[in-house]
Amino acid sequence: MKHLAFATIPELVSMIEQKKISIKELHEFFYRRFELLDDQLGCALELFDQSTISSKNPNGPLHGIPGLIKDNILIENRHASCASLILKNFIAPYSATAIEQLQAQGATFIGRANMDEFAMGSSTETSAYKKTKNPWNLACVPGGSSGGSAAAVAAGLVPWALGSDTGGSVRQPAALCGVVGLKPTYGAISRYGLVGYGSSLDQIGIFTRSVYDSALLFSSMAGVDARDSSTLQIASRDYTKQLDGKLSGTITIGIVDNALHAKGIDLDVKNALNEAILQFEKMGAVIKHINLPTMEYSAATYFIISRAEAASNLARFDGIRYGLRDKKAKTLNQLYENSRHEGFGPEVRSRIMIGNYVLSAGHAGEYYDNARKVRQQMRHEFAETFKNIDLLLMPTSPSGAFEFGAYDADKLQMDLQDYFTCIINLVGGPAISLPCGFTKNNLPIGLQLIGNHSGEELLFKTAYAYEQSTEWHLKHPEGY
Amino acid sequence: MESFNIARDCVKRITKEEMIKLAKTSHIAIDLNEIAPVAEQLGEVLSYAIRVQEIAADTVLTLQANTNIFRADIIEQCNPGPLLRQAPERADNFFVVPSIIETV
Repeated sequence: MKHLAFATIPELVSMIEQKKISIKELHEFFYRRFELLDDQLGCALELFDQSTISSKNPNGPLHGIPGLIKDNILIENRHASCASLILKNFIAPYSATAIEQLQAQGATFIGRANMDEFAMGSSTETSAYKKTKNPWNLACVPGGSSGGSAAAVAAGLVPWALGSDTGGSVRQPAALCGVVGLKPTYGAISRYGLVGYGSSLDQIGIFTRSVYDSALLFSSMAGVDARDSSTLQIASRDYTKQLDGKLSGTITIGIVDNALHAKGIDLDVKNALNEAILQFEKMGAVIKHINLPTMEYSAATYFIISRAEAASNLARFDGIRYGLRDKKAKTLNQLYENSRHEGFGPEVRSRIMIGNYVLSAGHAGEYYDNARKVRQQMRHEFAETFKNIDLLLMPTSPSGAFEFGAYDADKLQMDLQDYFTCIINLVGGPAISLPCGFTKNNLPIGLQLIGNHSGEELLFKTAYAYEQSTEWHLKHPEGY
Repeated sequence: MESFNIARDCVKRITKEEMIKLAKTSHIAIDLNEIAPVAEQLGEVLSYAIRVQEIAADTVLTLQANTNIFRADIIEQCNPGPLLRQAPERADNFFVVPSIIETV
């Protein structure tokens, strides 16, 4: 039943309401999809026992609709390992606020999605457990760090999935897998229950195959949370209401030229973005070409701040209260050092050390303090830019999905996959990646629409209008 | 506009002693044969990241106006069960750890 695999959430809800399918049958369907297809894809680290999943709200708008949850988002009494050995047997003692909110709307969770270890990576290759493959080409990565979530939605194994985005970890895999990926405004969705990586950058993000579904799920989770004091003091509301396929009056879209014309961008990506710009113009948008000079420093700034915050956040994994412990250690220091060496993979160890380096006496001035200053400049530049434009547009990723091992010998180039996305985490605004074409090798290309702080309403409306005027969102990988 | 083809000529060199100290600060053991390759990888990233100083000089950090979020100071009962059940080693309501105080 291929249509069911790629149905949108409203289509599934309608089928359930019309009794064309029961929730039990729907769950069976998606569980069978995983059984059939996930051996070759590797999206899920765990599928929950079907008898243990149930909707908590029969009247909720997401009643019975199953999703996959990234392994760094806590679900009470379920394992949460962040794809790391250090948390192999960890069982979450509480649920993330986002999980509770989705449960309150009736959503169900089918399992845990594979990811880069502790969300550190752009290919899902650093997971301690398995690699996830891109359903468009099994020799290619799905992107990262939320690769399992992106691939599962792209392959029709689930209608939606949660990820987390610290420097692009929802938007980049969304682009590489040809699905919709939203990073909300910082503070829009509570981080309570999201294992921290870069706390001033992290946001829970959403994977769907349509903008409407993204807006629906976002509406379920966005809102102030007493348990996360960084959540925005704005009331939750329904972001699907104003999605009518039209642009909002006359909007001005700023094309980030120094991104679109960066050296090293794939020609196919450039062509797809240019086509998309023409499409926006046809729909009535005013196009302005702009430059963001501070973007040149976005990756460098992100490297410093994210790794500094990661070093701090991951200090808690010390083998004392939970997680892997070296039981042969004779001293406390040995216990810490060996447990962390054994439990963390090389990429995580490297990032922690860089983080501590840029914070250390003698280096903090030239690295961390300067990075904070540059971040302040970026925020100022964005605020100034948004005085004259409504939305920004640029590529999500410089190329389509790359092959496994492509950056084994060049980790820095791998890190630069975040080039177009990390600046948005630094400034805190919302951004969405939408499918907008394919490379000549039939790999998806994503465009990134960026809104002003708390500008999700306009972002969704514009994204929806573009999506509905094209057919990219209706394309699915062959064989699924 | 900088591209992804980054300049590699000034790779920061982290000495062996610095690496050992960094590992210690990070509370992560480091094998002798790891020191050189890890130092090289760190050096590459740091050599790239240092460019922030090119434009940072003229900026004075302004403190953001923060809003304090308070909650009522009410003591809630806490069930230690779920927290203790995954302790690597426990005794009653305590985590067992290597001794740090010499007993005579």
